[in-house]
Amino acid sequence: MAPRIEYFFRETAAGLRRNGVVAFAAMSTSFIALFLFGLSLLIAREFQLVTTRLTGNVEVQVYLSDPVNEGTVPRLTGKLLDIEGVAEVQYWNRKKSCEQFRRLFEGQPIFTENTPCSVIPTSLRIRLSEVAQFSQITSLLGCEVVLEPDGDAHQQCAEPGVRYVADYQELLERLDALTRVLSLSVFGIAVIMLASAIGLVANTLRMGMFARRKEIGIMRLVGATNWRIRVPFLIEGLVEAMLGAVTAIAGLFIVKVFVVDNLRGTAPWLPLIKNSDVVVLMPWILLAAALVAIVAGTIGMRRFLDV
Amino acid sequence: MISLQRVTKVYRNGVTALEDVSVEIDKGEFVFVVGPSGSGKSTMIRLLLKQEEASRGDVFVAGKNLSKITSFKVPHLRRNIGTVFQDYKLLQDKTVFENVSFALEVIGKVKHVIDQRVPEILEYVGLGDKLNAYPDELSGGEQQRVSIARACVNRPLVLLADEPTGNLDPNTSVDIMRLLDKVNRIGTTVLMATHDQAIVDAMRKRVIELEQGKVVRDQSRGVYS
Repeated sequence: MAPRIEYFFRETAAGLRRNGVVAFAAMSTSFIALFLFGLSLLIAREFQLVTTRLTGNVEVQVYLSDPVNEGTVPRLTGKLLDIEGVAEVQYWNRKKSCEQFRRLFEGQPIFTENTPCSVIPTSLRIRLSEVAQFSQITSLLGCEVVLEPDGDAHQQCAEPGVRYVADYQELLERLDALTRVLSLSVFGIAVIMLASAIGLVANTLRMGMFARRKEIGIMRLVGATNWRIRVPFLIEGLVEAMLGAVTAIAGLFIVKVFVVDNLRGTAPWLPLIKNSDVVVLMPWILLAAALVAIVAGTIGMRRFLDV
Repeated sequence: MISLQRVTKVYRNGVTALEDVSVEIDKGEFVFVVGPSGSGKSTMIRLLLKQEEASRGDVFVAGKNLSKITSFKVPHLRRNIGTVFQDYKLLQDKTVFENVSFALEVIGKVKHVIDQRVPEILEYVGLGDKLNAYPDELSGGEQQRVSIARACVNRPLVLLADEPTGNLDPNTSVDIMRLLDKVNRIGTTVLMATHDQAIVDAMRKRVIELEQGKVVRDQSRGVYS
């Protein structure tokens, strides 16, 4: 079998040399396509992380009016716990809220020094097992959406003792829609690029076959099987797509290290993709590259299938 | 060895290349197929290689009915058939040795078989000293010898030659004919399409004459016309 394998690789190398420029074009298109493909998956992953962070500890915050009357907290807690989907209700008194505030804005003295604890509101933090239960809480407390002049909205409530309810639902919905649009459009571009990569690789193979039509004709005459004729070209396509895949993976790591990791300092609250998120993409990118090569091979050599 | 039974070939454009042709060629025979251009000689060769299929009738080569074998088996059929053409069909970027070894390599022969057979067959056709020459360094006659070596290196049962002397001067043509005769004497069935009158007359072999796709003469020890 050894000379056979050697034969295939020698023929493949000869093909790549002969068609250098076109092979390079095919490789770089595969690279761009696979890079965008991986990028769309990474963007989707990033949004998934953000959404999980936000919905994973979905808390509805019911801010209480000052001063908090005795009895308000147990009354509201009891009411809220009756709703299905409410897992836990916690009372955050002024001390606890203030500590949390100081922790959040640690290192930013402009906020911490100018905000006395007395202005920080107390609240009931409600942990939901389902995001959809949010509307039940607002209707229970008789809240209505009030638009503020700056475009923000919050829930103004009729229930005595309640100042307002922080509305995350709209934010979550918007985020979800944004995620979907962004990753769908990047994915769409990736699919178009993959199609053009297939076209270019197929074209390279076809040009290679055309350049060697005399050789192929002789191979047919002396009784070479179709596979023996085609395999070098298939390997050629596979090599081009795989080189594209390897550079695309390298490109994704570069993006991760030089772009994503730079954000880590500026936005500490934002969950970011890790190296392992890129690593789990690798088999998918290689798989997509193999798919490109196989489809390109099938298209590129269709005309040469007849004996 | 070769048998055409009431074979008709009509091309897709409606041209009838062969019409009701029946020919029997035994093992070890040497046969000339003669006739003017367009009489069907090349079509006959294409049918024997299964590059074309007969529209009607049956074609047998080496005991196999070509209309019955699958395209998957066609390469294996062709390994039993050597082919030689007017234009040699040599690869210019390969040496004499490589041109011949290529034929063995692409059918999966191992290196020690190649290293043994290629010099042997090149010696046989009289090019033992030109193994490393490139085709453009050779005369037409020498190039045709390389192509005959390539056709015979896998020891085919049948050698099909389509105008092998068409590009050669008379003296060189005679040398090529001597070589084909030598190949025939070791048992290879040779079918040669030609319109080289001098050669056909000199060899006194069996002659099948085609005219407008029909066999008009089939004569043993015949002449051109």
